[in-house]
Amino acid sequence: MTALDNLPATQRGRRRRRRVNPSMMVGATLVTLVVLAALTSFIWTPHDALHVDAAHRLAPAFSDSFVLGTDKFGRDVASQLMVGARTTLFVGIVAVGVAAIIGTPLGVLAGMAGGWLSEVVMRANDLLFAFPALLLAIMLGAVFGASTLTAMIAIGVATIPAFARVARGQTLGVMHTEYVLAARAAGRSRLAIALRHVLPNIASILIVQASVSFAIAILAEAALSFLGFGTRPPTPSWGRMLQESQELLFSTPRLAFLPGLAIALAVLGFNLLGDGLRDWLDPKLREHR
Amino acid sequence: MGLYLLVRAAVLVVSTAVASVVVFAVMAVLPGDPAEVALGVNATAEAVAAKRAEFGTDRPLTTQFLDWVSGLPVGDFGVSYVTSDRVGPQIVDRLGVTLWLVLFGMLMAIVVAVPLGTAAAVRHRSVGGLLLSGLSQLGVAVPAFLAGILLVFLFAVTWQALPSGGYTPLREDPGAWFQQLLLPSLSLGLVQGAVLSRYVRSAVLDVMREDYIRTARAKGLGLYRALWKHGARNAAIPVVTVLGLQLATLLIGAVVVERVFTLPGLGSLLLDGVANRDLLLVQGTVMVLVVAVLGINFLVDVLYALLDPRLRGAR
Amino acid sequence: MTRPLARLVTVIATATLAITAAGCSSGTSGDSSTASSLSVGFVAEPANLDFTSTDGVAIPQALLVNVYEGLVKLDQDGKIVPLLAESWDISPDRKTYTFHLRDNVTFTNGKKFTADDVVFSINRVKTDWKVSLKSAMDVVANVEKKDETTAVVTLTKPSNSWLYKMTTRVGAMFSRDGVADLANKPVGTGPYKLDSWRRGDAITYSANANYWGTKPKAGKVVLKYFKDATALNNALLTGGIDIISAVQAPESIQQFSDTSKYEVIEGTTTGEVVLSFNNSKAPLNDKRVRQAIRYAIDHKALLDTAWAGRGQLIGSMVPPTDPWYEDLTNLYPHDPAKARDLLAQAGQPKLNLRLRIPNLPYAVASAQVVKSQLAAVGITVEIEPLEFPARWLDVVFKQADYDMSIINHVEPRDITAVFGNPDYYLRYHNPKVQELFAKADAGTEDEQVAAMKEAARIVAEDAAGDFLFLFPNLIVAKKGMTGLPKNLVSESFDLSVLSPSEA
Repeated sequence: MTALDNLPATQRGRRRRRRVNPSMMVGATLVTLVVLAALTSFIWTPHDALHVDAAHRLAPAFSDSFVLGTDKFGRDVASQLMVGARTTLFVGIVAVGVAAIIGTPLGVLAGMAGGWLSEVVMRANDLLFAFPALLLAIMLGAVFGASTLTAMIAIGVATIPAFARVARGQTLGVMHTEYVLAARAAGRSRLAIALRHVLPNIASILIVQASVSFAIAILAEAALSFLGFGTRPPTPSWGRMLQESQELLFSTPRLAFLPGLAIALAVLGFNLLGDGLRDWLDPKLREHR
Repeated sequence: MGLYLLVRAAVLVVSTAVASVVVFAVMAVLPGDPAEVALGVNATAEAVAAKRAEFGTDRPLTTQFLDWVSGLPVGDFGVSYVTSDRVGPQIVDRLGVTLWLVLFGMLMAIVVAVPLGTAAAVRHRSVGGLLLSGLSQLGVAVPAFLAGILLVFLFAVTWQALPSGGYTPLREDPGAWFQQLLLPSLSLGLVQGAVLSRYVRSAVLDVMREDYIRTARAKGLGLYRALWKHGARNAAIPVVTVLGLQLATLLIGAVVVERVFTLPGLGSLLLDGVANRDLLLVQGTVMVLVVAVLGINFLVDVLYALLDPRLRGAR
Repeated sequence: MTRPLARLVTVIATATLAITAAGCSSGTSGDSSTASSLSVGFVAEPANLDFTSTDGVAIPQALLVNVYEGLVKLDQDGKIVPLLAESWDISPDRKTYTFHLRDNVTFTNGKKFTADDVVFSINRVKTDWKVSLKSAMDVVANVEKKDETTAVVTLTKPSNSWLYKMTTRVGAMFSRDGVADLANKPVGTGPYKLDSWRRGDAITYSANANYWGTKPKAGKVVLKYFKDATALNNALLTGGIDIISAVQAPESIQQFSDTSKYEVIEGTTTGEVVLSFNNSKAPLNDKRVRQAIRYAIDHKALLDTAWAGRGQLIGSMVPPTDPWYEDLTNLYPHDPAKARDLLAQAGQPKLNLRLRIPNLPYAVASAQVVKSQLAAVGITVEIEPLEFPARWLDVVFKQADYDMSIINHVEPRDITAVFGNPDYYLRYHNPKVQELFAKADAGTEDEQVAAMKEAARIVAEDAAGDFLFLFPNLIVAKKGMTGLPKNLVSESFDLSVLSPSEA
């Protein structure tokens, strides 16, 4: 066991009753907003988010039909933010998906098998942990050319250790429960036990992890786009919008402020949702420890 | 305990070896021939071949790998294709900048997190505590580079109080050195401090419920005194763990912050190296970063074992 | 402790040691020089200081004219004027150049500059230079020393471009004993010598005490390098530097609108920002498709949005500072209807094109406008930014694996290289144009201007590329700075004429 395996959980509440807490409410609301904006953008945006219009460049907010104004290309900022939400969610979903799909089985395997196999898996995990998303994305970008895809994969791969670790920790706890012991006594196969008993019981904490990882993925995508290793232009991405409007910070701060706010609110939303879920699920989890 | 450390150390060695293979392999498939990049457009085939021979990139990959990896333990990272300087000293040079940045960032994070987290824990039922928690949540949600841009805009451009970037070595001008490090480390530290404060809060919350704190309080000790005298060590265990892991994050966060503040650190070395296809330089830098993270994890494990008596018996 | 960890600790320990050791010596470097100091911000840092083996404009920008000098140089109007050669004679057949050298010139290594160094430097281009630019010396048949201060160069054929090329880095004069470590220790005859170079940060020059010519105004010059355009601006705003040599974020120029504090210089460069076409590959081997693209682009709108209206519209590959400039901006006025017609005629009403650009600010900004404007005539553009220089050079430049690209062709008088060589990445093959270029090179001054003008017009009419705009020379400096170049006509940034405010 290493220190990494003993990562303390934040906000380890001890509430006995399940009740919807304020974090979860606020978090869910923010996340819903982002999702709604992204979904709406598929069927409707106030303007074509990519249409360059020299006549309307740098239009102030609430002028003509530009609710949040336009950028230096004359593109509607509100529309860009909506499509940008799509990029953000897309990156988050794929990255977290990759991490969960690879990390969870690894963690469960390590937790169930124990012994040297567990040790090898977890040490490989530690090694992967030493290649942070940014480093991976820069290396991948250099090989294949930076794009949303390389960013997603890099963030996803870098998030694998988080999932593997949580899955292993929870699996260890579940393995000692009566029903798993009973199933083992009944001669059920390991795979069956993993699918029938372990996964359903650790699913809730994995959802919490997914929510927290999602927030981290959003931050990572923003940083990568800022460095030019993320989403390609002109596809709107909050990180790139921020980077492109940096030169206008002095004269038109709105252009940098809005995508910055969008990033912060989305991250806040996913973090609060994760925290809230953790508190909400906590009583049940404790019984299995 | 001794055995435990030995095993951890062995793991570290194996991990480093595997990492070196991975790093080399990735660089080997990198498109763009360094010889061609160096010679620019329209270079003749003979010139390129000669340059390849000069770089040694015409040899088999395994030979190149063994050549590279055998130099690593003694700090020999090879000679840069682009600057024809030794890579090792360049990395050491830049590492100096990044280490100061990370160190200051870490200090700022602790300065922010410990009071904030403790106060949030102690007052966790009051509106004030909720506000403090909210504040830290907001801090976590702000990307470090955005914090950097805003800090520059306020402190440097608007108020003209601090320089907007650049770096002066400590030996040349300690005053300028400190001023120039202040904003970058603040932008790293504020965000990391917000993350850390949440762990401090939950660690203090846990400790507060322990019997020995209750006993101490029953004996008439104030809450903060009781926490300091009896709880600090216990609360420190999880916090130190997170701190160690954050050190790794800080190292990477520094890459982005260096760009915002034009600091000549490891991050800018890495990005320049990638753009110039200075393979040995990139390889060396990535390797140092990866080994640093592995090393930090190792140290955290050791520290953890030392702090937590329950672990001493393990294994 | 394990080996790798031990190594890491050693590295850290060495670093700390270096820092502490250095800390002890602080304060001892009190320089007594009273000469004024200047700090100039640049964007691209040289990878090394050896332009004989490494390509790219960053190296000559920093070194040429400042550290290295040639026999001749370009003045502000783009005319060739004496530098290390006081004068020169050209034989009637225009194949023999006799250079009369200054006899009071020494290199920074103390050696005297003589005709031997001229012979050495010119021959060395042929024998030791590794970059493609060395082909500029192919036309030289022989170079010899007549006496200490006279050098004679014989060409295989008359060439106007040869003397012009001698003003660029190819013509730099090296000391016979000064080429051992070109990458780090340049030895030249210029007004400045290299003091130190802190990689990733700054190059420091100090005045060359033995300089033969007018002593530079600033005794010390720091060239500071910024990867980030905003960081560069901030440095001037906060007093970190005195001059921004080239503004990379033109929108931000408003920040410097306070004329009591800042001076903004706006002029022309020799950098044509070109939407380049792959002329040898379908569908852009069809002239009608290329023409359609030229008609589809609203250049005024592009310049206004992508580069804040800074810069100049050009209809061809010739900047206004060249003698054969002609205003060709009306050759292809913005006409989307005509563009659609041409595409229909070419049988390409719906086109998909890959726009593979370097990841540089002007290219990324322009590409987004090009995409939007071409979408209006039914062309779908996929933008793909490639890392510059490595990946862009490899994919676009070397393999020509692209449909369109956007790049600022910064070299002066590069129209011949870009459109006269069918192997160049635009793969433009037009024998008539090549013939005109050859004629211009060999002819008299009048013949040269006439032939170049005709060639430039053919290239523009042929829509071999679209000329988006001429990159502006945008300099911002603290109030009172003198000597700032209005137009940038060469590949160097002359630091010796800059003078900080006296007040």
